Amino acid sequence: MIGFAAPKGEKLPKGAHRRAPGLVAWLILSPLLIWLLLFVVAPTAMLTLISFAERDPLGRIIWNFNLQNYVRAFDWVWIKILLESVYYALLTTVICMAIGYPTAYFIGRAPERWRGILLMLVMVPFWTSFLIRTYAWINILSKEGLLNSLLLTCGILEEPVAILYSPFAIVLGLVYNFLPFMILPIYTSVEKLDNAMIEAAYDLGAGPLRAFSKVIIPLTRPGIAAGAMLVFVPSIAMFAITTLMGGGTNPTIGEVIFKQFTSGRNQPFGAALGTLLLIVFIIALWLTHSQRERED
Amino acid sequence: MKTKTLVLSTIAAFAFLGFASAAPTKNLNIYCWSEYIPQNIIDQFSKETGVKVSVENYASNEEMLSKIAAGGGDYDLIQPSEYVVEVLVKDKFLHPLDHAKLSNLKNIAPQFLNMPFDPDNKFSIPYMAGTVGIVVNTDLVKGEVRSFADVFKPENKGKIVVLDDAREIVAWALLSEGFGVNQVTDKNLKQIRPTLQQWIPLIKVYDSDSPKTALLNGDASIGVVWGGEGAILLNKNKKFRWVIPSEGTHLFIDSLAIPKTAKNVDNAEAFINFILRPEISKQISEEFPYLNPNLAARKLMTQKQLDNAASFPSEDEIKKMQIFKDIGTKGSDIEELITTLKAQ
Repeated sequence: MIGFAAPKGEKLPKGAHRRAPGLVAWLILSPLLIWLLLFVVAPTAMLTLISFAERDPLGRIIWNFNLQNYVRAFDWVWIKILLESVYYALLTTVICMAIGYPTAYFIGRAPERWRGILLMLVMVPFWTSFLIRTYAWINILSKEGLLNSLLLTCGILEEPVAILYSPFAIVLGLVYNFLPFMILPIYTSVEKLDNAMIEAAYDLGAGPLRAFSKVIIPLTRPGIAAGAMLVFVPSIAMFAITTLMGGGTNPTIGEVIFKQFTSGRNQPFGAALGTLLLIVFIIALWLTHSQRERED
Repeated sequence: MKTKTLVLSTIAAFAFLGFASAAPTKNLNIYCWSEYIPQNIIDQFSKETGVKVSVENYASNEEMLSKIAAGGGDYDLIQPSEYVVEVLVKDKFLHPLDHAKLSNLKNIAPQFLNMPFDPDNKFSIPYMAGTVGIVVNTDLVKGEVRSFADVFKPENKGKIVVLDDAREIVAWALLSEGFGVNQVTDKNLKQIRPTLQQWIPLIKVYDSDSPKTALLNGDASIGVVWGGEGAILLNKNKKFRWVIPSEGTHLFIDSLAIPKTAKNVDNAEAFINFILRPEISKQISEEFPYLNPNLAARKLMTQKQLDNAASFPSEDEIKKMQIFKDIGTKGSDIEELITTLKAQ
């Protein structure tokens, strides 16, 4: 406990606490710090460093620093692909929120003994690999797949329709895979929601809509923000689902980076595109953060 | 009591050390393509020789090349395609093979030996060969299909599946413009660009891992795919027809080679010789029906297997096929070209 003890003999203004943590606090924190250093800071620094380098015909890095990869990356093709990936990710986030918020609200307000089971139902499909689930979707959506044969036998369709390998299939795949990342954080916010606040809103004359928009939404905002980030960030760079379900006709930024790293044998250029993607993430995080600051 | 335990365990430890150093190394680390060497072949080898085999997979030649070129990995056996054998030989990353230990090499057809990428097979042995060709679902595509140009016609828009491989797509365009598959120069890329610009918007699906899926599911009705995938389609349904493009096509030879850094060279050579056995090679063909270069294995195959046009093209067709050479830094450019056209 020594580390947490208040300092003696130092003059602090009245009511202030010492902010610098003690040794024990650092020790407790150290596994996380080492983790961050090894698996976040170091790889990111490496990626950024490589993005300024060159490569030989075998793809090995040559440490000649220059800006040529960035000059090449600021071409309309890559920007367009990046914007398109951001668009798909935004669309996915919005749809996930539209489906995820009511679901999370329902689970969070359900009787306590039901909540565990309902949450479990959200999680169960995710016990299998996402690739297997994506292949399952291929079997459902393909021209001779389950959905088409069902609609054909029911007489709703005359001819099978192409659902797979379309932008619709891409968004479906993304929403399906990332929905729990929206539901879970919103659920934690909803669960903590103080009923007295909602009752107070009604007592003060607010209708259901007003109570929802003025009280419930602001109180669950941390969950919404966390959910939005958890869906938006990974869906920008996700390429396995988009190539498998979209047919690879709309290149995504994740796929393009992957190809430059592998068959393109051009890690530095892939790294430059990766660094640009990172900057997009940083901007997105900064925007949500400053939004929250303003509200507080 | 304590002393006795200590003495006993010390003796045991020494005995163990002695045993470990006396026994030859019984390990083999294989780094190979995913879905290419059947697990039961590896199990049979382990059972016969007592060698403990561990397998690591890669999904592209470049993934393997970057590891080997970086000097990483303790691999004893790798499975590079011809153009990668070429660079690995040139940059001296491979261990020379002792042909005295590869008695079954005589089973391989001479047409797959002594290739330009590895004269006299000093460093590599062919594992499987294969080609790229056209599969047509004759129920859905009625017109005559003989060439790449016949595949990429406006009436086939939204029906085509191709390999998700920029080098392949560029090679087809080069062939249809009368160039060789290795003439990947800036000038030629500029010349084939209009052709690619017409082709790419017609394509519905890009898939290198399992292009047969889209054809089986009915989402595509014509495709340019690997011979092994085509062979499976031909076996599944009579409606599928296999066509070797009249412009010529690409012949690939996937090889087995030993990296210079290998620690278990003897076991790796034993494994290569094991793979070259007719009855083993035949089992591989049953699972992955590519063009088997092993003549003795072909004698054990059924007539149906040998008659599969996608597995075994005719001699005349093979003569017209071309082998990829390494294109070095151009790989990044053709990725960019194809990406640019896709994004339009």
